[in-house]
Amino acid sequence: MENNYIIELKNVSKIFDDDTIAVDNFNLYVRKGEFITFLGPSGCGKSTTLRMIAGFEFPSKGEILLNGRDISNLPPNKRPINMVFQRYALFPHLDVYDNIAFGLRLKRIPVPKKDKEGNLVLKIDHKKIRELKREYSLIKRNRHLEEDVKEAKLNEIEKKIEQIKSTPTQSYSYTKLSNKEIDKKVARALKIVDLEALEDRDISTLSGGQQQRVAIARAIVNEPEILLLDEPLGALDLKMRKDMQLELKEMHQKLGITFIYVTHDQEEALTMSDTIVVMKDGVIQQIGTPKMIYDEPKNAFVADFIGESNIYNGTMIADKKVRFLDYNFVCLDDYPLNEKVDVVVRPEDIHFVKEEKAMIKGVIANKIFKGMNYQYTIMIGKTEVMVKSTASYEVGSTANLSINPDGIHIMKKDFTTNVYTDAWVNKNNEVMIDDKPFACEITQLVPDSTLDEDGNVVSKDGKHKYNFNDADVVAEIALDKIDVIDNIDSEECEAIGEIVDSIYVGDHYRYILRTENEEDFVFVSPYSYNLNDKLGISVKKEDIKLRLKKEVNEYEI
Amino acid sequence: MVKKILSYSYIYILLLLMYVPILVLIVFSFTNATYIGTWNGFSFDLYVALFESEEIMIAVGNTLIIAVISAVCSTILGTLGAVGGHYLKRKSKAALENINQIPVVNAEIVMALSLVVMFVFIGNMIFGGANLFSFWTLLAGHIVISAPFVYLNVKPKLQQMDPSLYEAALDLGCAPRKALYKVVVPQILPGIFSGFMLAITLSLDDFIVTAFTRGSGLLSGANNIETISTLVQAKIKKGPIPPEMRPLTTIIFIVVLLVVIGITIYRNKGAKHKSLARQKFRARKE
Repeated sequence: MENNYIIELKNVSKIFDDDTIAVDNFNLYVRKGEFITFLGPSGCGKSTTLRMIAGFEFPSKGEILLNGRDISNLPPNKRPINMVFQRYALFPHLDVYDNIAFGLRLKRIPVPKKDKEGNLVLKIDHKKIRELKREYSLIKRNRHLEEDVKEAKLNEIEKKIEQIKSTPTQSYSYTKLSNKEIDKKVARALKIVDLEALEDRDISTLSGGQQQRVAIARAIVNEPEILLLDEPLGALDLKMRKDMQLELKEMHQKLGITFIYVTHDQEEALTMSDTIVVMKDGVIQQIGTPKMIYDEPKNAFVADFIGESNIYNGTMIADKKVRFLDYNFVCLDDYPLNEKVDVVVRPEDIHFVKEEKAMIKGVIANKIFKGMNYQYTIMIGKTEVMVKSTASYEVGSTANLSINPDGIHIMKKDFTTNVYTDAWVNKNNEVMIDDKPFACEITQLVPDSTLDEDGNVVSKDGKHKYNFNDADVVAEIALDKIDVIDNIDSEECEAIGEIVDSIYVGDHYRYILRTENEEDFVFVSPYSYNLNDKLGISVKKEDIKLRLKKEVNEYEI
Repeated sequence: MVKKILSYSYIYILLLLMYVPILVLIVFSFTNATYIGTWNGFSFDLYVALFESEEIMIAVGNTLIIAVISAVCSTILGTLGAVGGHYLKRKSKAALENINQIPVVNAEIVMALSLVVMFVFIGNMIFGGANLFSFWTLLAGHIVISAPFVYLNVKPKLQQMDPSLYEAALDLGCAPRKALYKVVVPQILPGIFSGFMLAITLSLDDFIVTAFTRGSGLLSGANNIETISTLVQAKIKKGPIPPEMRPLTTIIFIVVLLVVIGITIYRNKGAKHKSLARQKFRARKE
C-alpha cells in the first residue's frame, strides 16, 4: 500500500431525496489508530458523514476507501466497522452477555476448502460476482452521479466481473466461533469496560452509564478496524461524561483502534481528539489538532464555536498593525494594507494592567464567578469585551486592559456571509443587529416549529414552548441577500450606512456598508456606487439565518 | 363512608350485570331441563348430549380449524404489512394506513356482500361459471376481517421501537432479513401475539362473513360448512335454543377464563430463569 491511511473520504457529497445537501465535497484522510472528532452544531452534516462511513447512507458523489479499497456502496454488515449509537441501541430482549455476543455469533471464519487428497479447491467466486452486480445496479440507479463518472465506474465493475469469471480462486468454507471463544472474548470486553459482574443483567435494569459501557463493549468485542461513536456521551450527566471521556481516551490508547467520534460539545472534542474536523452546513471549516484549532482558528465561525472568544471587525493599518476597538494593536500576522479582517481575542489573552500601561479602557458591566476565575463583561463604548481573570474587580469600576501581540489572531474575512455574533432577539421576535430590528423567522431556531399568538415558538409535537425574548444569537446574512435602497428616508430601510469599501470582482461589485455604530454589512451588487454614498438596506426575513448561542432548552417555558 | 360504599357498589353492580347471564347459563348447564327456569336436579346429561351430538362436534371442529388457520395467515400478513408500512415513506405510509382502516370501520355486512360479489365475479369471469364457495373462500373472508386488526396491534410496537436497533443489528453483521427476525421481531412479539389472539377471537364468533362466504368442505363434507355461530343461528330459526348449547358455552367460557388467567400469571411472573449457559460462563470465569 502506498500510504498508511485506514479510511479516506474523497470528494464525498450526500444529497437527500428532497435535494437538501447534507454533506458537500468532504475530503478527509484518517491514519490508522487516530482519534478523530467531527465537531459542529446540529445539522452540520457530521452525523450523516459518520453514517456514510458506517454504511447506513451511501454517498451521492465521491468515494470512501477503506485500506485503499472502495467501500462506498458496501452494506453495513460487510464493513469491518462498528458503531456506538447515540442512545446506545442495545437489544432490550437480550441480557448483557447476549448483547455483547451478538456480533460474535454472526461472525464466520473462513477455512480453506480442501478436497479428499488435501489439495486446495479452486472455484470461481460467484458470491463476489453477485456482490459486484448489486453494486453495479446501485451505481446505475444513482441519479446524482454525473454520466461520464457513472459510465467509467460501471465499466470498471464489468471488467472486474469478467476477471473473476476467468480466474478461479481459493474457495473457503465458513465456521462459527465456538462458545468457548465467544465466552473468552465477551469476558475480555466486559473487563475493558469495567462491567465484570453484570453479564446476566437485563438491559432495562442498568443505569445510563452502564448501558453506555455495554454499547461500547458490544462494538469493540468484534475487533473492528474503526470504531464510530455518535455523540455517545450526550445522554449522561456532566460528572459521568467527564469520567467517560477519560476512559474512552484510555481505551483508545490501549486498543489501538481508529476512533471516529461525533460531538457538538467543543470541550469534549478538545479533551479527547488527536484531530478535530470542524464542520458547518456540510462543509469542513478546519481540520487540525485541538491546539491548532484553538490557537489558530481559520475563520470567525471556528473561533466562535471553539472556546469563548471576542470577535471584532478590524482593519490592517500598517505592517503587522491592526485597528479594532478604536486602538492600533501590534500583531504577528501579516495582511495587506487596508484589508478588512476578523480579529479573534480569547478572554484569557486580555489582561488587566495599571492605568498608564492601558491600551483600552472600559467599564466593568458584569462579573461572574466561574470557580477557577472571574468572567468579566467590559463595555468599551458600545462594544462588549469578555475577559477572564483570577483577580477581583468591582462592577462599575474602570478596567484598564492590554492585549499582547500573540493574543491577537487575525483571519481573512469570510466574504461569503455576513456573520453577526452579538445579535439578539427582541420581544417582537425581531433580530437586533447593530441595535436595529430586522424581521426574521424566529421559528427556524426549533425545527418544524410554529409561532403561537403570544409570540412563543411551539415545537412540532406541541409539547415544548420557547420564548426567545433577549436570546443571544448569531445571525448570518448571505452577501447576495442584502437589498439596497437608494432612498434612505424610505420606511423599508432596516439599516442605513455609508459605503466604505468597494471592490470590482469579475462581473459585480462587492461593497462594505458601515453604519453609525460601526457595524459592517458586506453586499454584492451589479450597480456602481461611490465611496461615502449613503444607502439604506433591507433583508427579506427568510434570508436571515439564526443560530442560538446557548442550548435551546434554556428558553423553554 | 357512604361515598366509599357507593363507589364500590357501582363497580360491583356493573360486574354483576355483566356476569349474571353467564352465571345463570353455567348453573343451568348442570340440569337436564329444556327450559331455563325449571330445575330438574343436578345432572351431567346435557354434557353427555353435547359430546354425543355429531352436529355440534362438527361445528366446533370447523370453527377451531378455521380460527387457527385464519389467525395464523392474518398474523403473518398483518405483521408483514405493519413492518413494511413502518419503513415506507410518509405519503405511501398514510395511504396504506387508510386502506387498512377501511375494513375496520366498515360495516361487516358491506365486507361480506362485497366478498360474495367478488367471488361470484371471479368464478364467472375466470373459472367459467364455477362455484367458488368452499373452505377457501371462507378462509379468505376471515383473513380479510382479521388481518387489519393484527396490523393495528403490531404498528404501535414498531413505533415504540428505537429505530437504531435495526441499524445496530446491521452494524454488527446481520444481513437485512436476519436483522428483521433477530431484532425487530422480538421487539414487536407482544403486538404479534395480541394480534393473533384477537384474530382467533374475531374468527371464532364471526357470523356474517361466515354465512356469506362459506361453501362445502372441512368436517361438514359435501354440506355447507357449519360453524358454532351458523349452527346456533340455524337452530334458533326453527325453535328454542337447544339445551346442549348451554354446556358448550360454559366450556368456551371456562377455556377463555383459563387462558386469560394463564397469560396474567405468566406476565406477572416476569423473572426469567437464568440460562444454563450463563451459569457456565460465570463458573468458567471464576
